[in-house]
Amino acid sequence: MMRLSGRFRAALIIGGQGIRARKLRTFLSMISLFLGVLGVVAAQAGQVIAHRALVASTELQMGVDGTQQIYVQSAESTGSIVMDTVAGRDDAVALLSTNAIIGEPDVRPVNEGGAPLDGSGGGWGPTMNCDPQGNCVDPNEGKPSGQAIELRVVALTGDVRQFRPLRLESGQWLDFGGAPSMAPRLVLNEAAAKGFAMYNVPAEMRFQGATANSTPRFTGVVDDGNSNPQAYVRSDELLNWMPIDVLTNPMFGTPELLAAPTATDFVETLRKKVEALGDENTLYINTISAEDMMPGEIQMMRWVFLGVSILVLLIGAAGILNVGLATVGERIEEFALRRAVGTPRLLLAGIVLAETLLTGLLTAMAAIGAGIAGLAAAGKLFGDRQPMLQNVTFPWEAGVAGVAAGLIAGVLGGLVPAARAARIPIATVMRA
Amino acid sequence: MNEPLIRVTGLTKTLKGQDEPRTILAGVDLTLHSGESIAVLGRSGSGKSTLLSLIGLFDRPDGGQYLLGERDITRIAERKAAALRSSEFGFVFQRFFLLKHLTAAQNVAMALVNGQGWLPRRKRRARAMDALDLMGIAHLAKHKPPRLSGGEQQRVAIARALVREPKILLADEPTGALDTDTGNIVVEALRSATDRGCGLILVTHDHDHAAKMQRMLHLDHGVLAPAPTAVRA
Repeated sequence: MMRLSGRFRAALIIGGQGIRARKLRTFLSMISLFLGVLGVVAAQAGQVIAHRALVASTELQMGVDGTQQIYVQSAESTGSIVMDTVAGRDDAVALLSTNAIIGEPDVRPVNEGGAPLDGSGGGWGPTMNCDPQGNCVDPNEGKPSGQAIELRVVALTGDVRQFRPLRLESGQWLDFGGAPSMAPRLVLNEAAAKGFAMYNVPAEMRFQGATANSTPRFTGVVDDGNSNPQAYVRSDELLNWMPIDVLTNPMFGTPELLAAPTATDFVETLRKKVEALGDENTLYINTISAEDMMPGEIQMMRWVFLGVSILVLLIGAAGILNVGLATVGERIEEFALRRAVGTPRLLLAGIVLAETLLTGLLTAMAAIGAGIAGLAAAGKLFGDRQPMLQNVTFPWEAGVAGVAAGLIAGVLGGLVPAARAARIPIATVMRA
Repeated sequence: MNEPLIRVTGLTKTLKGQDEPRTILAGVDLTLHSGESIAVLGRSGSGKSTLLSLIGLFDRPDGGQYLLGERDITRIAERKAAALRSSEFGFVFQRFFLLKHLTAAQNVAMALVNGQGWLPRRKRRARAMDALDLMGIAHLAKHKPPRLSGGEQQRVAIARALVREPKILLADEPTGALDTDTGNIVVEALRSATDRGCGLILVTHDHDHAAKMQRMLHLDHGVLAPAPTAVRA
């Protein structure tokens, strides 16, 4: 061990001396390599940042990696099955959605159908109330326009944030620990919060089919990545005011469940219960994979960028190789002398490799530094227009890729000169 | 007399070039004892440097036997030869072979950074300074070779050869590039190493320098023999 350590240190010391003795040459060989490593760093950083932004957005709207996203086809008693099966489970949460209107009583909401309040996407029109024969009526027909907002309300049986990391912007998240409140506590998303800031309305909350209207309490605001107004509420606080069928109305979508990857028994139980209702009542299960969240375009761009970078990297390695061969030719007497004083061939090769590796490493450090500075500058210049660049941090994966690229180029450029240095015959050189 | 440091018998070496093979050494016998100094004389191309490169383990003989103490190292592997070059031998060459980018002290210390054991920087520097002091040039420790005279450079090279305290010092025409006076100083520095028990083999063309050694041998037609009296004179 001591011997290896001594040789390693000797290689580093002599390699460092070699670099110091040829500063200009080392610098010149670093230039082309710098561009290659910078390309690798930029490609890796770009891909990681884009992926990170995409994953963050997808996690908010779908779920974290590995989450089982389960949809149950709505049918009579589906709601009861879901609620019974999920009761008492820490590893699964049911999300039952419906639309609600909050505001002045008996008025048409300003955004019928729960459309975005900024008007993007145009008006959606009213949410129609249809019977099984397809006869639909507008429940707000004849009502005057007033100060009310229609939004989607998601009733939760447990804390959904273990699966969807909703970011709390202000106030408090829902407390699932205590007894349910008679005045349902709502956590709004940002779009809904903006709407209620624009329309200061008396807060009555009404649902189609509810037995009574309730008075909601807003406790917090979260970022859920959704541009439509939406609110989250404990399911048991809503069920004080309405039957479960209101929350499983197929007009507003199908019941959704999120389960941990390990909750296989839960999924099996649910499947059996739903299948018992009839053939057409099946589960749709989607397991969320972070890897699948990478769109093909980003992957393609990444490979093209990496390919070009590797090409430049190879040119950089060829530069190191060229300089290395010339340097070994120049230093033939030095290497012969070192062998004469007892330096083993392997250490001589190690000295040359240490020089090219140190050169590669220094270049990688410079390229990573340029990458960090470039990213910070891009964040300052384009952060306003590109949310992806706001408060972005330099990904460690790009740093690792840069160091690896520098070291690989160092090895590729140093191997042949190292082998030549190790083969220099002492007698011939010292006698010449 | 004490046990021999090295003993070579019947050493042969043939160089295989593009033309016919050329026999350089045709059965050389040589014994070197501790504290003994030997001068090897001979015409240019007579094989003096080849003999020195075989003794110094730069190369391997085609035939014969080479004993280092009691150990037969005739066919020693390169890895072990490197270790022996480090621990047993010191080399001085005609062209000094100092590294221009290093100071005199660093040039001496480079022999201590050869992967054969490890010395901390402070100890390396102390030993290099001792070796330079022995050569009387400690005051030039921080000078780089281009700022040193030929004699000073050669004394730095001798300090480098002595810094690992070798048992055998091999000098291949160390005064070839120096004037007579400077050459005398260098030969005296080499000879003084034998006072500390080091064996010395000096390859030279200079009879005056050779005469300062305890024994003078003459290499002719690949065979080593005591130098004739005429040569001694």
